[in-house]
Amino acid sequence: MLTNLRRCLVDLAAASTVFVLGVASVAQVQKPAAGGSVRVTPAEVVLPIGESLQLKAELLDAGGRPAEGRLLFFSRARRALRCSRSGELSAVAPGTHTVVVRAMFGRERGPEATVVVTVPHPAPAGIQITDLPAAVFTGTITPIRATIVDKDGVARDDIRIAYRTSDDRVAAVDDFGFLHARAPGSVGVEVSGGGLSQETVVKVVANPVTELTVTSTHTRARTGDVVSFGATLAPAAGVRAVQERAGARPPVSFSVRAMPDDTLGNAATGQITSTGRFVAEKPGLYAITATCGSVSDTFMLRCDERFETKRKLVKVGHGPVLDVHTSDLWVWEGVDGRDYCVTGTWGANGDAIFWDVTDAARIERIATVTVDARTVNDVKVSEDGRLCIISREGASDRKNGIVAFDVTDPRKPERISEFDDELTGGVHNLFIHENYAYALSAGRRYDILDIKNPRAPTRVGSYQVFEPGASIHDVWVVDGIAYSSNWRNGLHLVDVGNGVKGGSPSNPVKIGDYAYPSGWNHAAFPWKSEDTGKFYVIAGDEAFPYGLSVKDNPTYPRGWIHFVDFTDPDDPQEVARYEVPEAGTHNLWVEGDVLYVAYYNGGLRVVDISGDLMGDLYQQGREIGWFLPTHPQGVVPNAPMAWGPQPYKGKIFFSDWNSGLWCVELVEDRGQRR
Amino acid sequence: MLSALALSSAAVTQQAQSVGSEVAPLYTAYVACESSDEVYVVDFDGRAAVVREVFEVGYQATEIEGPHGLTIGPDREFWYCSIAHGKPFGVLYKYRVGSNELVGECELGMFPATMQISPLTGLLYVVNFNLHGRMLPSTVSIVDPDAMVEVGRTVTGAMPHGSRLTASGDLHYSCAMMSGELYEIDAVSFEVTRSMQLDIDLPKNHASAAKPTWISPHPVDRRIYAALNGKDQIVEVDTEKWLVTRRLDSGAGPYNLDITPNGELLVATYKGAGAVGVWHLKSGREVKRVKSSRSVTHGVVVSRDARFAFVTSESKNADPGTLDVVDLAAGEVVATVVVGLQAGGIALLEP
Repeated sequence: MLTNLRRCLVDLAAASTVFVLGVASVAQVQKPAAGGSVRVTPAEVVLPIGESLQLKAELLDAGGRPAEGRLLFFSRARRALRCSRSGELSAVAPGTHTVVVRAMFGRERGPEATVVVTVPHPAPAGIQITDLPAAVFTGTITPIRATIVDKDGVARDDIRIAYRTSDDRVAAVDDFGFLHARAPGSVGVEVSGGGLSQETVVKVVANPVTELTVTSTHTRARTGDVVSFGATLAPAAGVRAVQERAGARPPVSFSVRAMPDDTLGNAATGQITSTGRFVAEKPGLYAITATCGSVSDTFMLRCDERFETKRKLVKVGHGPVLDVHTSDLWVWEGVDGRDYCVTGTWGANGDAIFWDVTDAARIERIATVTVDARTVNDVKVSEDGRLCIISREGASDRKNGIVAFDVTDPRKPERISEFDDELTGGVHNLFIHENYAYALSAGRRYDILDIKNPRAPTRVGSYQVFEPGASIHDVWVVDGIAYSSNWRNGLHLVDVGNGVKGGSPSNPVKIGDYAYPSGWNHAAFPWKSEDTGKFYVIAGDEAFPYGLSVKDNPTYPRGWIHFVDFTDPDDPQEVARYEVPEAGTHNLWVEGDVLYVAYYNGGLRVVDISGDLMGDLYQQGREIGWFLPTHPQGVVPNAPMAWGPQPYKGKIFFSDWNSGLWCVELVEDRGQRR
Repeated sequence: MLSALALSSAAVTQQAQSVGSEVAPLYTAYVACESSDEVYVVDFDGRAAVVREVFEVGYQATEIEGPHGLTIGPDREFWYCSIAHGKPFGVLYKYRVGSNELVGECELGMFPATMQISPLTGLLYVVNFNLHGRMLPSTVSIVDPDAMVEVGRTVTGAMPHGSRLTASGDLHYSCAMMSGELYEIDAVSFEVTRSMQLDIDLPKNHASAAKPTWISPHPVDRRIYAALNGKDQIVEVDTEKWLVTRRLDSGAGPYNLDITPNGELLVATYKGAGAVGVWHLKSGREVKRVKSSRSVTHGVVVSRDARFAFVTSESKNADPGTLDVVDLAAGEVVATVVVGLQAGGIALLEP
């Protein structure tokens, strides 16, 4: 036993823990001369998922002789490769991982060894081929969707898939997995990879189509209009008969050739989907071709400029805030019939500023309230115009929460209550809807507070996205549905009183959700299109991929607006975007069929979202107008940083991070300079 | 009372003289400003403090991310900063000393706060303070700072804070502010070895009345000290007997603690009193009390030569925080420099 201790041979398969040995010898350990090392066996490990292995480690002095000391084992990928403190490994996920075995002497860190542990992917167990029809038609191209999976059904995307057919004269497969049907007959389609192969027999049927006519919902359109094309196949009876026999209809593909009016090196100017939905980005002629086998037809479509009359945004008034950053705003009609606005402040004194905006050309700062905070990120006013709630972050007592004011007289806001229970991490955003306040708790959840008696708010409910690492950034409530924006977990629609799922403020029930890959989901606004009857949730990004600049220089955010068709809440589809190049979105608002976006460094943007939506609305010329708020004495001088918009009584108010409160309006652009 | 305690300042003077040198060394303090997302680098030459550099930390320009904890690696090549707020998890940033170049980052738990690196294991132990309201058990993250990966996570109490290791680096202590507990973690096994309820009263509502906010192991013997922010007490725990051996009535709201390397003096920040207390540990008496330059006194670190305590103060609203340098022998603030909003975490780089 003593010999074993002195050697400090850590045979952890035999001894339960190295630390029992180490602790027992800690008083006697001598640091080996410089150049000592740790020898681990095995030095390299291949460990299949689900299996375990005990590492053995030995501490050596500079002469290669066993030395005393404690050893510490840990994995640098603990979620993929577990490593006990005694060096027992358990493989969880594929990859090449590192385990460190570190020696410790008395009070010092000693030499260490690393062990590379390869956890291989589980062996391929099968090939799944989906959506391949039993019959295809000569002259058509059909994608083969194949996936190699392991024994757990997990896709092995790392394995290249190869395709071939038994007879290229009947059908051939290209390198991208598309089956080109050439002649009637049966053909074996073999998909292989990872040592597996699977063959499926496909019947190639003579294409009965001898004539094809393109149909269109429009003969003339504007850029941004979604035009639906179809195809009539003839002979109809022959097609029907073949369809009944083969169990499939001859497929039609669509393509587009653009002939834009602007021929000066213009880029691709339109797109068409596989189902024939087309949208043009630039004015010009578009040749829409439908093809079935060897038969095709082309439809010429003229697309004009979207707007016959150009409009622009012009300044009506400015309420300057030049010493601190401005955050969100809320504009409302006061109980006295005058119009008011409240704005928050960011990274400053904990102020919220009240404005009289009745005469928007002469915005008057009428009151300032100060709470113990550094940032009042969000401000909201109740529907009756009597209650204002503001959020707190950076409170000196770190209790944060919300503070409520009676704004019956906005010139004399009266602080009536505060609520910080379980909101101590900071409230970043909030909302008021029918006697309830919705307050974010440090990005973890939103709490629902009963504010029927605003002097004594009480918590009645709470909603949290129960996904690993989920975070909530904002919540907006309309018609009893709460729309939360949840970064990488995307949008969540929650019944908080609408009734569609039996939810209530005290029993919020999820209706649906949708996430997109970037994880930048920051804001959401629901909107039902009167033109199409479709229901969208319009989601905004927030991202700063090019770093921070809060004080002295402009910052360069990125991100765009996502249009998610939520008409079927069980199957939401992202159908369109609005993306201003080299700028980043923040908050948004929709009124009628016009979208207002505070596009940070891109200023305020006003966008026509009438009709059906598809593609990039910016490229389609749907933007109605833009306005860059700048001020030479701004917090960051001459740097637009539009934060939040609110259309109100025919004008548009918006806050700008660097320069305060602005009011603009849309006017006809007669071409004169501003 | 204070004047009587001041008589004991001889011990302070004696200690300072014993380590005094002819040439004033240069100390560099790193100060985290939680509400302006900045870290200030402040030089102090023994007489004057000057801001050498200010830089922004975080990744979301318009979100307050809250840099909170700071520590400097044993090799003094890198310094580390915890960012409290994330989406939702906070992160640990690693910067190179001198250039302040960001060289690594690692996602941690909810609201990572104070931290320290063990000289024994080389690993960094950071508490996930989880200030987010609900009184749930949280964790201590254990990070390999070489690779900047989390290698372990140990569950402790509600709102753990005051992440500190023994001088030998083999034991980690933290306190759970809202469950009132002291936790001991074996730095090598990553396991909680012992815990103790520091609150002798029943919890009020769902929170500890004692609200322990900091732990400071004694550098020489096996005692540790805890700041009971809610009780205006500093308690001494004998870790051999695992008993509270003394309860010292302190200034209002003791918050952070540090102890001189020889173990004679303990310096406490009083968040409620806007002051710093210097305690002679053997006698258990506060020998000096110094007003800080701002009202919300937060962090403290004592220089290795035991001459100075570097103290951060938060203040409120737009009033910026400060770094005060307290001469422990004189018992007075000898330098003050204005830093950013809500100055809290502090680390000291010494020659």
